[in-house]
Amino acid sequence: MSNVIECKNLTHYYGKKMVYENLNIHVREGSILGLLGKNGSGKTTTINILNGFLQPRSGECLIYGENSQHLTPANKARIGFLIEGHIQYSFMNIHQIEKFYSGFYPKWKPAPYWELMSKLKVTPNQKISTMSCGQRSQVALGLILAQDPDLLILDDFSMGLDPGYRRLFIDYLREYAKAENKTIFTTSHIIQDMERLIDDVLIMDYNRVLAQCPVADFMGTFKQFNFELEDNPANLKKEKFVVNLEVVKNKIELYTYESEDFVKKFFASNGIECKGFKLVKMGLEDAFIGLTGKY
Amino acid sequence: MERISRYILVLVTIVTASIVLPGLYWMAFEKPINAPFVMYSCINDDFMIIRSGVFSDKKGNKYSREEYEQKLPFMNYRQLMVAETMPDTIKGVAIDMHELSRTKSFYRFKPDEMQAPKPALYPLLESESGRASLEMPDDFFRITWRMEFINAENNTILEEKSRMFSAVLYHKGFQFPARMISGLPTTRKSCDEGYFVVDASYQLYHIKMIKGNPYIHKIELPEGLKFKNIGCVDFRDKEFYAYLFSDKNEIYVIQQDTYDLVKLPVEGFVPEICELSIWGDLFNYNAIFKSEGQIKDVVLDRKFKKVDEFNETWLKKEERFEGKAFSSLFPAQLSLDDKNSSFISFYFQKSKGFNWLIVNLVLVLVHLGILRNRKAKYKKHLADLVIIAVTGIFGFIAVNFFPNKFFD
Amino acid sequence: MWKSIVYKEWLKIRWFLIGYTVLGLLGIGYLFLTVKHGFTFSGGKNFWYGILFLGQQYFSYLKYVPILGGLAIAIAQYFPETINKRIKLVFHLPVKENSVLLMMHGFGFGSLLLSYCLIFLVFLGFSAHYFPYEIVMAASITMLPWFLAGFTAYFIVALVVMEPMWLYRVLYALSGGFFITFYVKSALAGAYAPANPGLLVLTVLLSIALIFSAYRFRKGEM
Repeated sequence: MSNVIECKNLTHYYGKKMVYENLNIHVREGSILGLLGKNGSGKTTTINILNGFLQPRSGECLIYGENSQHLTPANKARIGFLIEGHIQYSFMNIHQIEKFYSGFYPKWKPAPYWELMSKLKVTPNQKISTMSCGQRSQVALGLILAQDPDLLILDDFSMGLDPGYRRLFIDYLREYAKAENKTIFTTSHIIQDMERLIDDVLIMDYNRVLAQCPVADFMGTFKQFNFELEDNPANLKKEKFVVNLEVVKNKIELYTYESEDFVKKFFASNGIECKGFKLVKMGLEDAFIGLTGKY
Repeated sequence: MERISRYILVLVTIVTASIVLPGLYWMAFEKPINAPFVMYSCINDDFMIIRSGVFSDKKGNKYSREEYEQKLPFMNYRQLMVAETMPDTIKGVAIDMHELSRTKSFYRFKPDEMQAPKPALYPLLESESGRASLEMPDDFFRITWRMEFINAENNTILEEKSRMFSAVLYHKGFQFPARMISGLPTTRKSCDEGYFVVDASYQLYHIKMIKGNPYIHKIELPEGLKFKNIGCVDFRDKEFYAYLFSDKNEIYVIQQDTYDLVKLPVEGFVPEICELSIWGDLFNYNAIFKSEGQIKDVVLDRKFKKVDEFNETWLKKEERFEGKAFSSLFPAQLSLDDKNSSFISFYFQKSKGFNWLIVNLVLVLVHLGILRNRKAKYKKHLADLVIIAVTGIFGFIAVNFFPNKFFD
Repeated sequence: MWKSIVYKEWLKIRWFLIGYTVLGLLGIGYLFLTVKHGFTFSGGKNFWYGILFLGQQYFSYLKYVPILGGLAIAIAQYFPETINKRIKLVFHLPVKENSVLLMMHGFGFGSLLLSYCLIFLVFLGFSAHYFPYEIVMAASITMLPWFLAGFTAYFIVALVVMEPMWLYRVLYALSGGFFITFYVKSALAGAYAPANPGLLVLTVLLSIALIFSAYRFRKGEM
C-alpha cells in the first residue's frame, strides 16, 4: 500500500515565529487520517501547504507523487477539497453549482449529490448565501461526493454544524470512504467526531508532532492514571516516562505510555506513597487533552 | 508568466512615476519666467523694455509709466488721447486716427497652433455680399478628392456648389487632396479674403467666393518653395493677406492683388519651438520671437526692410537652480503634454549631465540593504538592481511596489 | 470545461453587464437629445462651428463612462472570488491556475468589449447622422483612450482585488490610479492621436497583470 500523501522535512515560519520544523507526515492509501492540534499549532498551515496555497520555508509535500505546489490538473481532479466553513459560491443555487462543477470532472456522479439535496429543505432557486451553516455543509459534502475523488482533504468539516449535521457528515464520509477505498485527510475541533471517523491520528502541538499512528495503537498505549499524593510532586514532571501531569491540590492525573506496572514500580523504588491509584479509561478527546495539556 | 506579469507592472509604474513625480516637482518648485516685453519706439529710434514692471530703454534709462507710453504712441494712442499728450505729428507725418487704425495689424503665432489637430472643415463666407457685416454660411467645405460643401443643418452635400468649385480648381491644376487650408474662419474681421490652400504637390491657391461664384487664383511660387504654415491676418490697409512659413523656416508675407511674396529679413526662426508676434503700425513692423531662454525683436519698416534688432537671453528652466536640482534627482522626465504642441504624446526629455547617477547608485545601495534585511539572494535581484541603476527613483519605486518574491 | 467558467462568470456579472450597457445606451440617447436641442436652438452651423473652432466637444459626458464599466465588471467578477478567500475554489479546479484565471479574465474583457462596442456603435450611428466624417473621426480618436481606460480600470481592479496584502493593494491602486489619469486628460478633439498607439500597447500588456497578485496569493503572502 503506497502513501497518497507524503510530507518530508516540512519547515515553516511566519516571519520569525516557527510553526514547525522537519515535520514528516504520511497518509496510506485507503486510510482516514485526522490531524488534531490546538489553535495555532499549524493545522491550517499544513492544509494550505497540501493544497498549494502556501509555499513552505523548506521541505515538500507529495500527493500521488507530485509536489503539492505544482499539482497537474489530472491530479487535482482526484482530490476533493472542503474549505473551512464549507465555503462555496454563495451566489449560485444548488442547480447552478452542480452544473458548474460537473463541467470539470469527467467522473462526475450526480446521483449522490441529488440524494443529499433531496434531504435539504430549500427552494430550487434559493441561493447558497441564504442557507444555514448546516445546509451549506450538505451542499459542500454533496459536491465532493459527486466529484468522486480518490483523496479528500477536509479542513475542519464540523465547523459551525449542529450535532445532527455533524453525524450526517461522519456517517456518509466513513461509509463512502470504506466502500470505495478512498483516502481522507481531515482536521476538526470536535474530537468526538474525529473519533467516529478516523483510522490514523496525527497530533500536533506547538512546533512538533506529538503522535502519529493508528488511533487504536494510540489509545492502546496512552494511559491516564489518577491518584492522590501527600507531597509536592514537582519532581515527578521531569521524569521521562511522564508525558503530562495535571495537579489540583493533591489530586494528580498522570499521563504516560508506560504500563501500570512500570508506574507502580517507579513509585515503589522512589518511595512515593499514593492513594486511590487507578487507570482511567479515556476517549480520544481526553487523550488529546492529556497529551497536549489544558490551557 | 508571473515574472512577465511583474515586469509589465514594473514598466507601467516606471512610466507612471516618470510622469507624476517630475510633474509634482515642477508644481512645487517651478518659478515663473518673466520675459521682458520689448517694443521699438519711433520717438527714440530705440527699444523700450518692460522688465517685471520696470520701464526702461536699451541703454538702461528708467522711465515712468507715462513717459514710457509717450515713447510708444501707436500702442498707447487711446491713453495718450485721454491724457491729451498725443502729438500731432511724428517724424514729420501728421497723425490721423483713421490712418493709425488702418495701418495697425497684429499677428500672433504659437507653436501649438501648428502642431495641432486641424479641423479640416471650414466655412467659406461670401466676400462681396453688399452687406455691412459678414455672415456665417450654412455650409462648410472640405477639400479631399474634390471640394465639397456640406450643409450643417442636415449633413448633406451641396452637389451643385461642390461641382462648381471643384471644376474650377481642377482646371487651375489643383492636385487633390489639400494639405493645408488657412484662413480666418470668423465674421469678426473687416472683410473676407477666403482661404489660402496648399495642394498635394505644395502648390499654393487662393480660394474665395464672390457673389456666389468661385474665385480661384493659383499663386506662382519659386522652384522648391514649400510652406508649412500660413497665418492669415486682417490687414485693414489691404496691403497683405498673410504671413507664411516655409519648410526652411523662412518667413514670407504675401501681397494683396499681386500675390508677390516678400521675404522677411529674419534668421533662426524655428516655428516648432518659437512664439512669434508681429505688431504692425504706421511706421514699422515689430517681429518679436520668443523661445525658451531668449527674446528677439526684429524691427522692419513698412517695406519689410530691417531697421534694427534687439536680443536678450536668460537662464532656461534647466539651467536655473530648480532645473539643476531636477537633473541631479531624476534621470529624465516623461510628459504627456508639451507647451509647443497641442497633441498628447509621450514626450521624453533626458536630464542634462549625469549627476542623477549618484542618486541612482545611492538607491541601488538602499535596495541592497532592503534585500539584505529580507535575507534575499542578490543574484536573483540583479535585473531589479540594473533597473534602479538606470531609472533611478522611478525604478526604485516600481521594483518595491511589486515585490520580487518568487519561490522557484 | 471553459463552458463552466463562462457560466460562472456570466452568473456573477450578468446583471451588472446588462444594467451598465442599458445605462450606457440611455446615456448616448440623452447625449443626442442635447445635440438635437443644440441644433434646434443655435442651428446646425453654429453647433458645427463650436465643435470645429471653439473646442466644444458634444460627447464629453462620456469621458468616465467606460471607466465606470470597467470598475463595475471587475468588482462584480473578482470581489465574490476573494471574500473568505473563495479564490481557493478556483485554484483547486483541475485546470492550470493561470489558465483558469485568464479564462475568467478573458470573459470579463470580452463582455466589456461587447458592451463598449455596442455603446460606441450607437454613438457612431447618431454622430454620422448629424456630423461629417471629420468630426466623427476626431471624436473617435478622442474617445479611444477613454475606452482603453475602461479596460485598464478592469485589469487594475482585478490586480488589486486579488492581492492578498492590504499594503500592496493600496500601492497598486495608487500606481494604477495615477496611470489611468493619462488616458483622460483634457485635450482638443483628435489630439490624442500620437499617444493612442502607446496607450493601446500598455493596456494590452496590463491584461495579464492579475497573474502577479494571484501568484502571490497562491504562495501564501499575507
